[in-house]
Amino acid sequence: MNILISDSWLRDFIETKATPKQIGEYLSACSQSVEKITKAGDDFVYEIEVTTNRPDCLAVYGIARELSAILPRFGIKAKLKKPKFEKILKTENGLPLNVEISKKDLCPRFTALIYNNITVKPSPDFVQKRLNNSGIRSLNNVIDISNYLMLELGQPMHTFDYDKILKHKMVLRETKDNEEIITLDGQKRILKAGIIIIEDGEGRLVDLCGIMGAKNSETDENTKRVLLFVQTYNPMKIRRACQALGFRTEAASRFEKGLDTEGVIPAMERATLLFKEWCGANVGSKLFDIYPTPTKEKSVTITKEKITKLIGVPIDVKEAKNILESLGFVSKATADNITVIVPHWRSGDINIPEDLVEEIARIYGYQNLPNVLPPISTVDYKLDSVFGWEEKIKTALKFWGFTETMSYSLISKNLISNQEDHLKLSNPLTEDLVYLRTSLIPSLLDISSKNPSESEIKIFEMANIYLPRGKNELPDEIMTLTLALTGKDTYFNLKGILESLLKELGIFRFEIKQDQCPNLKNFAKIFIDKTEIGVIGEVTGEQSDKYGIKQKIVVLDIELRKLLGFASKAKKYIPLPKYPAVIEDLSFIFSSQIFIGPVIDQIKSVDKIVRKVELLDSYQDTRTLRITFQSEEKNLGDKEVSKIREKIIKEVEKKFNASLKFEKNI
Amino acid sequence: MVKDQINNLKNEAVGEVLEAKDEKSLEEIRARFLGRSGKINELTKEIPKLAASERGNIGKLINETKITIENALRESLNNLKERTSENEAWLDVTAPGIKSQEGHLHLVTETISEITSIFSRLGFHRARYPEVEWDYYAFEGLNFPENHPARDDWETFFIENLENDKLGKGILTPHTSSGQLREMESFKPPIRMINIAKCYRRQSDISHAPMFYQFEGLVVDKDIAVTHLKGTLDFFAKNFYGPKRKIRIRPFHFQFTEPSFEADISCGLCEGIGCKFCKQGWLELGGAGMVHPTVLRNGGIDPEIYSGFAFGWGVERNLMMKSGLKIDDIRLLYNNDLRFLKQF
Repeated sequence: MNILISDSWLRDFIETKATPKQIGEYLSACSQSVEKITKAGDDFVYEIEVTTNRPDCLAVYGIARELSAILPRFGIKAKLKKPKFEKILKTENGLPLNVEISKKDLCPRFTALIYNNITVKPSPDFVQKRLNNSGIRSLNNVIDISNYLMLELGQPMHTFDYDKILKHKMVLRETKDNEEIITLDGQKRILKAGIIIIEDGEGRLVDLCGIMGAKNSETDENTKRVLLFVQTYNPMKIRRACQALGFRTEAASRFEKGLDTEGVIPAMERATLLFKEWCGANVGSKLFDIYPTPTKEKSVTITKEKITKLIGVPIDVKEAKNILESLGFVSKATADNITVIVPHWRSGDINIPEDLVEEIARIYGYQNLPNVLPPISTVDYKLDSVFGWEEKIKTALKFWGFTETMSYSLISKNLISNQEDHLKLSNPLTEDLVYLRTSLIPSLLDISSKNPSESEIKIFEMANIYLPRGKNELPDEIMTLTLALTGKDTYFNLKGILESLLKELGIFRFEIKQDQCPNLKNFAKIFIDKTEIGVIGEVTGEQSDKYGIKQKIVVLDIELRKLLGFASKAKKYIPLPKYPAVIEDLSFIFSSQIFIGPVIDQIKSVDKIVRKVELLDSYQDTRTLRITFQSEEKNLGDKEVSKIREKIIKEVEKKFNASLKFEKNI
Repeated sequence: MVKDQINNLKNEAVGEVLEAKDEKSLEEIRARFLGRSGKINELTKEIPKLAASERGNIGKLINETKITIENALRESLNNLKERTSENEAWLDVTAPGIKSQEGHLHLVTETISEITSIFSRLGFHRARYPEVEWDYYAFEGLNFPENHPARDDWETFFIENLENDKLGKGILTPHTSSGQLREMESFKPPIRMINIAKCYRRQSDISHAPMFYQFEGLVVDKDIAVTHLKGTLDFFAKNFYGPKRKIRIRPFHFQFTEPSFEADISCGLCEGIGCKFCKQGWLELGGAGMVHPTVLRNGGIDPEIYSGFAFGWGVERNLMMKSGLKIDDIRLLYNNDLRFLKQF
């Protein structure tokens, strides 16, 4: 949360010659970040980002307290000045207020005080300016006091017109469903159950506690008696209420961080002084203070060893003790440890020795610590090579002309056929991102359809898919590689990519088996040994129409985990051929549709001098195969070659019902 | 024997043809091998001396050899002529080249590779942990109180019908910090992890995509201190952003680290003086801190013996800051407009 505070206001509480620039720089380095410093007339305004653990710094005085510890570390004198208070006298007389609190955990501390003889008028000039610098509109002296003190001390407060609280009775309780309140901003708000409110003696809701007061009990120009409210509330209740209502006020943002119950009385006493000085008021009641479980003092001990070990440089006990005391910790030190009593304004965030290390280190100054690389001790686990392979695959595909896409892991209902097979978000942000995908193919088709200006689609994505494994178990996250390609000879181009890719991974054997798939035609499964590692197929017309893709599109889908199980960096050396090769082309006519893969395998298995078999040409039923004969032992003569050739022809003709068309010597 | 002689002759001739650099030497080779008193003719003269049964085969072989050498000569001559004519012909050197295949890696992939390699030089090993994760690893075990705002369904995505008795609800992990406990469960100190993975948050605007990448560093060992965190971040900054850049850390607050920091890098434009692109000379990089003792304990590591630091930063933010790309909407990275992807 960011706050805006005036330089002049800060200097009410800290006596220092530090310039605003120095204050900004040093406060950022050691405490809360100053995001911006702007000039406002003869004043400056700091915009400070305050972390959620430090609600005490959401206040001018809190920032001054930090500076009083920080500035001297930079050689700049700084002295903290306490605000002025007006003690509230103990009395049992005065105006009545009947308070009931339904559950004590709703409101850890409840205080109220009534002021008489109010004169409502504009606030002093400097107050108006400071409020304005903080982004708050000055209204009148009464309302301004509550805002001014919220900014000064970090404690929000609320003022009621005492005479508008019917029967002078207040019941603090949680709402039932559908209660209504009109808040100060004139908005009618319908409340869900469980929100803290105050009801008066006539059953009217007079306060949306910690968030905003009600219109029916607000102070106005005729107000004579003010009921001042200073509380701390259950932070969770305030946050939930803000979420349910969809709005949040400055006060609520503070209450929901958990405020210091010991800060309530000082705030009340400071308010009493301001009511006297700015409104001419006097106290008209006793102090109502309901504080069932007072916050206990906490002590924390830290050893010298821990300080040095965690910060990385030796800091002596005396210096550490001085730092802690400069921040308001009361401490006792021995030769090797320090025990502190945590100041009440820090009771929310200081609990363990490491919390004290942070206090010591930040004031000592992170800028004073050296940069040291962590010592390399042995790292005794195996490096995960999967990432190297993934990078290699992506790089290869890039150089083969593919563009890498990255799409959301979540997809819409429109992209899936069976919702039961998918994990579903219970709180999706948009309709597009609801189901965790179980395949990358729909995403790639979606991308293809959304890029109509591309003449050719040539894309791939590598990402997890998520297969559910039941209610008690996380899904199987499977790293998948999917490619999509359009254009001429798409199928075989993509199959060629598969073959090259396998080679890159040191895999030289694989099998393709035709199969059936409802959404893909010419569908085939890819096997290495007996393991199915992926599929290839052409998207059916029906599917293409569904996505609005006009071109023929072929996809290749690989389960990376399985594929990489076969990947190898092992290299094999084959001695370079000593004897020339004999190359021949054989053309066969096959009598029916023929799978050429098994024919090639058959020819290769005829003899070891058959080194290579390539499909040179396909025309109607004719397939021309180029065969390379080569021996490691000698020059091949025509006699040896012709023997093997005859065998090839015989086997192909017999097993595949083919006839030789012609042969050609190259 | 004769057969070998013939083959040797063939190889010799073809070898010389391939070596020849001009027409003149080709003519010379032709004369020496195929001429009237060339080597082939010399061999032919030997045929009558052979046994009758061999004569046919040898004759055939000699003939084949002759054809092979002639072919080689012809081809070589053609190549020479072609080269000469090309040299002399006019060529428009300004005409566009014939492009080779041109593909594109995603910007995020390139950035991840670079980050990985920088940290691997410091002995960090790359890790990847579940994206669909239990509340325990993402929140509870990381010391988040039950009512912390990040655990609201306002900020984090929850999965329907996924809940474990011990580990809580199934969510999409909102940060790579969920890998801290996973790493501690899998490995004993010394630990040096760089976990790079997809994260998800219920937020979508020009500077937030609902899915994004983080990289999480975790070091756990004896005597790991704030100074080591500073050293590591500075090493990263100088390697990733350039040797002139500096890192600073400021106090901050996170549930799972104590002390906690926000790390800044000196602005590359003004070199730390302060300009309109930075805050007083610095740019925010991301969060870091010393691993909270509760987190170490939850990971089965004794905080009295070991300590550690961690940081978790956005890949996209670092890539944008480094490249200086003025991408006006971060979601462009995941919209997959090919006109965008093909720019890089």
